[in-house]
Amino acid sequence: MPEIFNLSQTPITSHAFNADRSQLVVSLNSNDAQIYTRKGAEWVHTVTLSEHDKLITSVDWAPNSNRIVTASQDRNAYVWQEQVDAETGKLVWKPTLVLLRINRAATYVKWSPKEDKFAVASGARAIAICSFDPENNWWVSKLLKKPIRSTVLSLDWHPNNVLLAAGSADMKARVFSAYIKEVDDRPAPTVWGSKLPFNTVCGEYSSPAGGWVHAVGFSPSGDALAFASHDSSISIAYPNGPLINIRLPSLPFVSLVWTSENALVAAGHDCRPVVFAGSEAGWQEAGTLDDVNAPKSPEARSGLGSHGSVGRLNTGAFAAFRNADTRGQSGSASAHVDSKPLTTHQNTITNVRAYDYSAEGVSKVSTSGVDGLLVIWDVDSVTALTGRLGGAHLR
Amino acid sequence: MEGAFRKVDIDIYDEDVLQETELYAADSRDPAAVLDDAKQRQTAVRSLLAKNDIPGALSVILDDAPYGPNVEEAKVITLQTLLTILNTTKATEITGVIKSLSLDTQDTLMKYLYKGMAMPGWGDVSGSVLLGWHEKLTEVAGVGCIVRTMTDRRAV
Repeated sequence: MPEIFNLSQTPITSHAFNADRSQLVVSLNSNDAQIYTRKGAEWVHTVTLSEHDKLITSVDWAPNSNRIVTASQDRNAYVWQEQVDAETGKLVWKPTLVLLRINRAATYVKWSPKEDKFAVASGARAIAICSFDPENNWWVSKLLKKPIRSTVLSLDWHPNNVLLAAGSADMKARVFSAYIKEVDDRPAPTVWGSKLPFNTVCGEYSSPAGGWVHAVGFSPSGDALAFASHDSSISIAYPNGPLINIRLPSLPFVSLVWTSENALVAAGHDCRPVVFAGSEAGWQEAGTLDDVNAPKSPEARSGLGSHGSVGRLNTGAFAAFRNADTRGQSGSASAHVDSKPLTTHQNTITNVRAYDYSAEGVSKVSTSGVDGLLVIWDVDSVTALTGRLGGAHLR
Repeated sequence: MEGAFRKVDIDIYDEDVLQETELYAADSRDPAAVLDDAKQRQTAVRSLLAKNDIPGALSVILDDAPYGPNVEEAKVITLQTLLTILNTTKATEITGVIKSLSLDTQDTLMKYLYKGMAMPGWGDVSGSVLLGWHEKLTEVAGVGCIVRTMTDRRAV
């Protein structure tokens, strides 16, 4: 059973856990980031990180160095570190400025695997690759610009700490080299190439029907790249092999995470996480983590009933309009109709992340949504579900 | 026009401006060849319709449908031909026909349904027929099919 936490009444823009998952940083659609601490079965708000003066768009927590990075529409990013305060002797989170040099909002931020760099995507058609400059005690950036034509929406690092995948509103997913001479050792050759000076484009893939690329992700080995785009499709690219496109019957995904070399979880506007499985030979949808057929309160089954359509289209509001349209019913007749979708998340899922992971793969993922919910899912619970879903498929 | 007061085209001063043509891969075929092709398909569809082969006719007209600029005439012929097919199909057969189409063809069909609905009163456009097809197509291909119609810049 998934663990469900109602963190707030506002949308959760982004979330990230610390290494042992005892703490959680979220951006609740505001200028501040909030840290929650796990106390038994609930999350208790403990710290507010305020420094940004516009909406925080993305947060990330480096597990080993225990640093948080936040990116905001105010075109800034801050690296937060827990330090002993000189006056009070208590541990407090202190921000360090990052010189991003971008003139549009920062949209997405991600620590590199070694945590000595992070990348900030932005609306300025650029990605800032940031590394620490100890002399001046700030983070400096180097910009990846070519050939990005529009806002960059998502990023993911290759396990070798050098390659970076970026999904952009110019409908392309790209793989760049983010090699910084002062920080990185010369990377070993990968399937993406062997000579990798900064800003080398190692791969460029278009979304099949012209949708913004909302999410990108390298497989655990780094040898495959998955991306989800706004044309309701998800694609898996093998640099020396096929580019596999899967068309979805449902609304588009906005976030994805690989759980093993042969499986990934994606979630988005359809309000529930969906599992895909496959290999270079082919990929398909394996089911969902959200068992909508599980017994819930009886009124939750009303709405479109046996019509079998799940997610956004099955809301009471939709049913109310449909009844008004096809049966001339309105107002009071539909007042008793439950307005909740059947899914656990009641609105778009904004973020899906690996929650519990080891060398073998990811066993649990966490999702946060516009409904203010944080849900932790067991990745394996999909196996029991596939049989029951049968031909019902995604709709 | 809301933009009528804008007298200066500021885009010409922006070297980095994003052009419409950069947003999708252009059709590599020659416009004249596309037009010939559309006319040939029209004939092929007529003979398939005479044999009552609706799925065959739809595949012929929808596969590699013309898109992009400079092929307006081919687009018009294709739409006309498609409307003939849609209008002659019995309502009870629609779901079966749609299920026999490939995913690509289903997506293209959805594009034409929306194109037709955007041109009320044009030619043989019949709102009720298009809505009937739209309902059945959405049941088979899902809302994802509609989303792809909206995002795809390769407009038919």
